[in-house]
Amino acid sequence: MPSVTFILPDGSKKSYEAAEGETLLNLAHRSDPDLLEGACEGSLACSTCHVIVDSKFYDVVETHNPISDEENDMLDLAFGLTETSRLGCQIKITKDIDGLCVTVPRGTRNISLDK
Amino acid sequence: MDTTAPWGGTGSQILASYRIKPNDVPNSRMVAKGTFRAHPRRGGYSVEHVDKVCLSLREKYGKCVKMAGLLGRPDMLFVFDASEVERVFRGEDAAPHRPSMPSLMYYKHTLRKDFFGAEKDCGGVIAVHGDSWSAFRTKVSRVALSTGAAAQYTNQVGEVADAFVNRTRETRNKDLETPHDFLNEVHKWSLESLGLIALDTRLGCFESQEGSESQRLIDAVNTFFLCVGELELRAPWWRIYPTTMFKRYVAALDTILSVTLTHVDRALKECEVNGSKSLLQDLVTAAGPRVAAVAALDMFLVGIDTTSNAVASTLYQLSLRPDVQEKLHTEITNVLKDRPLKAGDVNQMPYLKACIKEVLRMYPVVIGNGRQLKKDTVICDYNIPKGTQVIFQHYVMGNSEEYFTNASEFRPERWIQRSNYQHHPFASLPFGFGKRMCLGRRFAELEMHVIICKMVQAFKMEYHHDQLDYHVHPMYTPNGPIRLKLIER
Repeated sequence: MPSVTFILPDGSKKSYEAAEGETLLNLAHRSDPDLLEGACEGSLACSTCHVIVDSKFYDVVETHNPISDEENDMLDLAFGLTETSRLGCQIKITKDIDGLCVTVPRGTRNISLDK
Repeated sequence: MDTTAPWGGTGSQILASYRIKPNDVPNSRMVAKGTFRAHPRRGGYSVEHVDKVCLSLREKYGKCVKMAGLLGRPDMLFVFDASEVERVFRGEDAAPHRPSMPSLMYYKHTLRKDFFGAEKDCGGVIAVHGDSWSAFRTKVSRVALSTGAAAQYTNQVGEVADAFVNRTRETRNKDLETPHDFLNEVHKWSLESLGLIALDTRLGCFESQEGSESQRLIDAVNTFFLCVGELELRAPWWRIYPTTMFKRYVAALDTILSVTLTHVDRALKECEVNGSKSLLQDLVTAAGPRVAAVAALDMFLVGIDTTSNAVASTLYQLSLRPDVQEKLHTEITNVLKDRPLKAGDVNQMPYLKACIKEVLRMYPVVIGNGRQLKKDTVICDYNIPKGTQVIFQHYVMGNSEEYFTNASEFRPERWIQRSNYQHHPFASLPFGFGKRMCLGRRFAELEMHVIICKMVQAFKMEYHHDQLDYHVHPMYTPNGPIRLKLIER
């Protein structure tokens, strides 16, 4: 099974085994509910599953999961957008991207207004 | 303090010094400097020019202003600051509360609660909130917003668009201009397209006959549009007794619901027979016939005049700009090379998409979108109490130099060459954002892309009359007959 490493905003790392073909968001949700938010449940209506893909993996991720206009529109609304940003709900994990490493940017999760 | 406001002319006043109740929020200013109180005379104010009112409010009060004392409505806070809009959106919980039509809430939750309340979480998405909304939304959005769900309708939406183009060609007058009621023709196109998407049915709007089921549905949808503005924006007498207007409104909703249910039944049977797949059948499979019927009803209530006004507005704006049309025509021709449009083609047409984004930036069909606060919230340094309706003023923000380079100029390129044009991503959100983003967005976009593509392919569009001002009706739309001169290409 392909493995994926998440680098959290505090710098710590967590690695999980993905089922072939599941999305990064799905893997995150079933592994650790606090890892990625994904408020719209993968319906391309928000950017709360924004991740920064390790540049080594970006092209191969893009080849298997071409970025759509709809995803680009949502990324435009993401906090801390970078050149290798993607939405976790749009990345299907396959064995070609075994060892994939993504960073969860600070501020991707919805913040509470009254804090 | 100025004591008059162009809130539909007479009988309107701005009163200042309304205080927001102090609360335990540190570092927030306790008194709102910008407050606004409208006194609709006998509830009879016009909202037609609320776009101009909002511009002047921004001018006068800055980043936000409170609207209080509106008959039968909670206090509203108009927000003109895109960064604050971003904060509110990013602070949303799992079930954001969206201010919506009280008359529709009454219909769904009181008058017809036997139907909408019979099954758990089956109220729909419009005028429904909380866990019930969330459960329903999840069921429907998995189907309606999933990648490619809309694109599979490209051919069918294209057929309806072809029919519209042909009809438009035939109904031109001797000067090759579209008729006075062109907007109504666009409504028919919109209803026909949605009938196909939501009900798997060609309603036959372009050739509908008196007494047919299609005509009943068309009439009911028209009646709904006519009534809803009156019921929602004027004094809510219907809350006290069933006014004639309210009775018509309820009858129209009943008709839409019953026609919708008939089609869902039929689609269910066809699904069993031939196993064909459509949005309706996917919804029935995923969530049951009642959810599918209620989703279709909601699509009819909010998916027709929004899309048709956006299209009419785009056609009008294009008719003023031959150079933009030429660029569009070149792009479309390069992609299609004389073959018919198929699924995915519009993804090769960035300029087409950008033109529609640009129209919706300058003239968003819904000039403001909102949330009802579920807890006390600091916005623009004010402590805004729970229950306030916060309205994001996208028309004002979309036309602000602060958020868009050369905001007053129609430049579709800004959506393509991002580096040359600065913009705040939260300043123009015609479909909203987040968990309550427009559920019909992908279908609306498909419909708009396809119809604009076909019209630009078929005609050079010109406009030879006095320029049209825009008004809130209740969609933000050109005020006056859209008499486009359509010259065959």
